[in-house]
Amino acid sequence: MSGGVALQAFMSGLALGTAYGLIAMGFSLVFRLTGVVSFAHGDLVVGGVFIGVLVVLGSTPVAAALDVMHSVGLAVLVVAAGAALSASVYLLAVRPFLPGAGHRSARGDVLGWVAGGLAAGLLIREVLGLVLTQDAYAVPDPLRLGSLTPSGALQLPGGGTVAVRTLGVIGIGLAVGILVERLLVLTPVGTAMKAVSEDPTAAALLGLPVRRLVFAAFVVAGALAGLAGLLISPDRSLSVDDGVVLGLKAMAAALVGGLGSVRGALAGGLALGVIESFVVASSVLGPQYADVIPLAILLIVLALGRRGLRSTLREDPE
Amino acid sequence: MTVELAHHLYLLIAVLGLALSVSYGGQPVLCQGAFLAVGGFGVVHLERAGLPLAAAVFAAAAIAACAGYLVGLLTARLRGAAVALSTWAFAWLVYALLHAFPAVSGGSQGLVRPTPARLDSALFGVTVTLTPPVHVAVAGTLCLLSLTAVARLTRGPAGLDWAALREAPALATSLGVPVLRRRAALLATTAAFAAVSGAGITVLLGVAAPSDVSPLLSLQLFVAALIGGTARLWGPVLGLLVIAVIPPLGEVLADAVGLPAEASGGVLTALTLVAVPFLRKPIERLTARWPERAERPREPVEDSEKFATLTTSRAGVTLTAQRLDVGIGESDILTGVNLEVRAGEVHALIGPNGSGKTTALRALAGALRPKGGRISLEETDVTGAGQFEMVRRGVTRTFQRTVGLERLCPHRQVLLGVRGGTPVPFAAVRDLFGSASMHDHAATADREAWRVLHVTELAQRAFDRPGTLGAGEQRLLQVARAVATRARVLLLDEPAVGMTGPERATLARVLRRLAADGVAVLLVEHDVALVYGVADRITVLDRGRVLASGTPEATAADPAVRRIYLGDADPSSTHA
Repeated sequence: MSGGVALQAFMSGLALGTAYGLIAMGFSLVFRLTGVVSFAHGDLVVGGVFIGVLVVLGSTPVAAALDVMHSVGLAVLVVAAGAALSASVYLLAVRPFLPGAGHRSARGDVLGWVAGGLAAGLLIREVLGLVLTQDAYAVPDPLRLGSLTPSGALQLPGGGTVAVRTLGVIGIGLAVGILVERLLVLTPVGTAMKAVSEDPTAAALLGLPVRRLVFAAFVVAGALAGLAGLLISPDRSLSVDDGVVLGLKAMAAALVGGLGSVRGALAGGLALGVIESFVVASSVLGPQYADVIPLAILLIVLALGRRGLRSTLREDPE
Repeated sequence: MTVELAHHLYLLIAVLGLALSVSYGGQPVLCQGAFLAVGGFGVVHLERAGLPLAAAVFAAAAIAACAGYLVGLLTARLRGAAVALSTWAFAWLVYALLHAFPAVSGGSQGLVRPTPARLDSALFGVTVTLTPPVHVAVAGTLCLLSLTAVARLTRGPAGLDWAALREAPALATSLGVPVLRRRAALLATTAAFAAVSGAGITVLLGVAAPSDVSPLLSLQLFVAALIGGTARLWGPVLGLLVIAVIPPLGEVLADAVGLPAEASGGVLTALTLVAVPFLRKPIERLTARWPERAERPREPVEDSEKFATLTTSRAGVTLTAQRLDVGIGESDILTGVNLEVRAGEVHALIGPNGSGKTTALRALAGALRPKGGRISLEETDVTGAGQFEMVRRGVTRTFQRTVGLERLCPHRQVLLGVRGGTPVPFAAVRDLFGSASMHDHAATADREAWRVLHVTELAQRAFDRPGTLGAGEQRLLQVARAVATRARVLLLDEPAVGMTGPERATLARVLRRLAADGVAVLLVEHDVALVYGVADRITVLDRGRVLASGTPEATAADPAVRRIYLGDADPSSTHA
C-alpha cells in the first residue's frame, strides 16, 4: 500500500470511526448507567435515518439533491427519530425487565432485556422492511459539503484524494462527540449520571431521579446514533439489515475503549474505523473482510478482555 | 407437505440441542444457526471430498462439536448478557464469512447437492432412497431419541450438574463441578445437534444456502428453545409449533393486509420474542410444581448410629498460611497473616467486621490469589491454585450468603457434593448408555449422601423442599454439601447466621463430630459463645493482621483481644 493510498484509507477510516465512536458512546453511556447491553442500538442508527428520509421525501429514498430547508429538516428529524426510537426501546423492551432503583447487582431479568432488545431491533428492521423492499438504498446527503470544491474532493500529499465531505464528517462527529463527553463531565446532569453509574442505590437515596436519568441516557444515546447514521449513510448504500452489524461494530469499539468509559468509546470507535478502512484498502484482505475483522475483534476482546472488563462482564466461576 | 414436516422435525432437533445450553445450562446462546451452517455446508463439502453420506454427516457433527466446544470455552467465564452478545456476534461472523467466501458457501445461490440422496449400506447390502417420508421417519426417530436421552440424563448425575450450573455457578465450583468444562461440553453437544439438523435439511432440500442459516434463524430457534425451557416435557412441542406456525401465519397475515410474506414472518418472530420474556414468568409459575414429588428413593436400611460414626477414611491434612498478603484491587485487606488449620481441630477465626475474615477464607479456598506469602496443604505448595483445584485437593468452602438450589431436595444437593468430590470420568455418557459400573457408582454415592445427611442431622428433611427448611437448617445444608465433597479441610463462613439456639447446639455437635473424624475445620463466626464452646484454637484478626492466636483460654485472656471485644482494658466489665 503506497503512502498516498494509506493516507486516504486513514482519512476515510477516521470518518467511519467517528460514526462508530458516536454509536459506541451511547452504548457505553447506557451500559454504564444500567448494566444493559443494548442489542437494538445498531438498529436505532438505520431506523433513525430511514424514518427521517421517509418523512422528508415522502417516498422511499432516492439520492436527490435537497434544498436547504429539506436538509435541515432531514438532519433534525433523523437525530430526533433516533432519540425517539431509543426512548421507546427503553420504555417497551428494557425497562420492564430492570430491577427497581438500587438493585443493579441483580441486573434484573437478564434474559428479559436481552430478548427485549433483540426483539425491538428485529421489529425495527422488519417494520421498515415492509416499506423498504429493496436490498439497499442511496440516502440523500443533508450536509452538502461536496459542493465546496468543484470536484468535491481535495488532493492529498502522496497522490490520494479525500472528499471534503469526509473531512466534514470527521469535524462534526468529533466536535459533537467531545462536546457530549465534556457535558457529561462538567454539567450537574453529567455528575448525577456518574453517581448513578457508580452506585444507583446511593444515588437514589440521595434523591437523584435515577429512572429519569436512565431515560435521559437512552435519549442521548439514541440521538448520537441518529447523528452517526446521518454522517455515514450518504457515503454508502444503506440496507435495512445493516443495523445489527453496525451495532456489533460499535460494541466492539466500546469494548476496545474500555467498556463504560464514554471517552474511551470515542477513541475505540476511531481505532476500529481506521482498522476497518485499512482492511478494506489492503490488497491481502480486501472488502470482503470489512465485517469479518471487526466481529472477530469483538469476540476476541469479549473472551480474552482486559481485567477491567472482568467485573462487569465476567463472573469467573472458577 | 411431507417435505415441510421433515424440515420442521429437523429444526426441532436443533431446538432440542439448543435447549441443552439454554434451558439446562442457563446460557443464552444465540448462534445455533451458525452451527446449522457448519452441518449444512460441511456435509456437501465432505461428500464432494468423497465421503459417504452417513460418514459426512457424522464428520460434520464432529467438526461442529469442536467449534461449539471452542466457543463454549471462550464464553464460559462470561455473564449471561455477555454470552448473548458474543454468541450473537459469532452468528453474524459466520454469516459474514459465508458471504465473504463464495467458494465455501456457493454464493447467494448456495451449494447444490444431487437429489434424491441414497444411503448405501455395504454391511446389509441395501440401498435406501431418502424420499421425504424417509426423512420424516429419520428426523422423527432422532427427535424421540434425543428427547429420551435428555430425559434420562436429567435424572442422572448430569442433571444435578446442570441444575448447579444454571442456578449457582460459584456454588457449583465450590462443590467440585468443573463449570467451564461443563458449559463448553454442553455447547459442543448443542452444536452437534445443530449440525445434524443442518445436514438433514441440506439433504432434504438438496441445497445449502447462506440465507437459510441467517442469524434470523438463530433468533427463531432461540425463541423456540426459550418457550421450550418453561416446560421441559411439552415445551419442545410448543417450540416446534412456533417454528412451524409463524411462516404460514405470516403468509395469511400478508394476504390479509397485502404485505410481503417474508417480512410479516419476521414481524411475527419479533412479536413472539417480545412476548416470551413477559410470558415466561407466569408460565413458569403455572407449571412450577415441586419436581421431586414423584421419586423418593428409600433410605438404605442400616443403623443410623453406625452411619453417623462411619469414618471418611481419608487421611487428615493441615492447611497452612504463612505471611499471607491479600488485596482486592488497590486496597490491601490482609497483611502477614499466619494461620494453621490442623486435622481433627476446629479452628475459629474471629474479629470485628471488616477485619478480613472472609477474605482470608476466600484466599485459603483458592478464590482469591494472594499478593504475597504461601499457602500449603501438608508439604505441598498450593499458593495460587484455583478454587476448583483446591476442591479436588480436599479443601471446600461455604458461602456467607445462603446460596440456594431451590429445585433440588437436600438429598440431591448433598448428592451433588458427593459426585463433585469423587468425579467419575464421562459420568454422563456412561449413565446414558446404562453402564453397569455407573450403577455401582450411583449406589455408593447414595450411601455416602445418606452418611453425610446423618452426620449433619438432616436425614429427616432429606426429601423436603428447600424452601420449607428453616434458615438454620439451610445453613446446615450448606455445611452438609461441603462435607459431601469428602473435604479434608472445611472452610465455613458464618454457618450459624440465622440459627436458633437449638440449631446452634446441633451445629456445634456436627462440627465436633467432623473434627473427631479427622477433618480440619476453619470456622469464621461472630457468635462468641458458639466459638468458645466448639473451637480448639482461635485466631483473632483485626484490620487485616493477626491480633492473637492460641487456645480459647489464652485468647480470651489476651488484653489486646479484650480491648477490641469489650471496648476497654478493665477485666471487671464482662458483659460482651
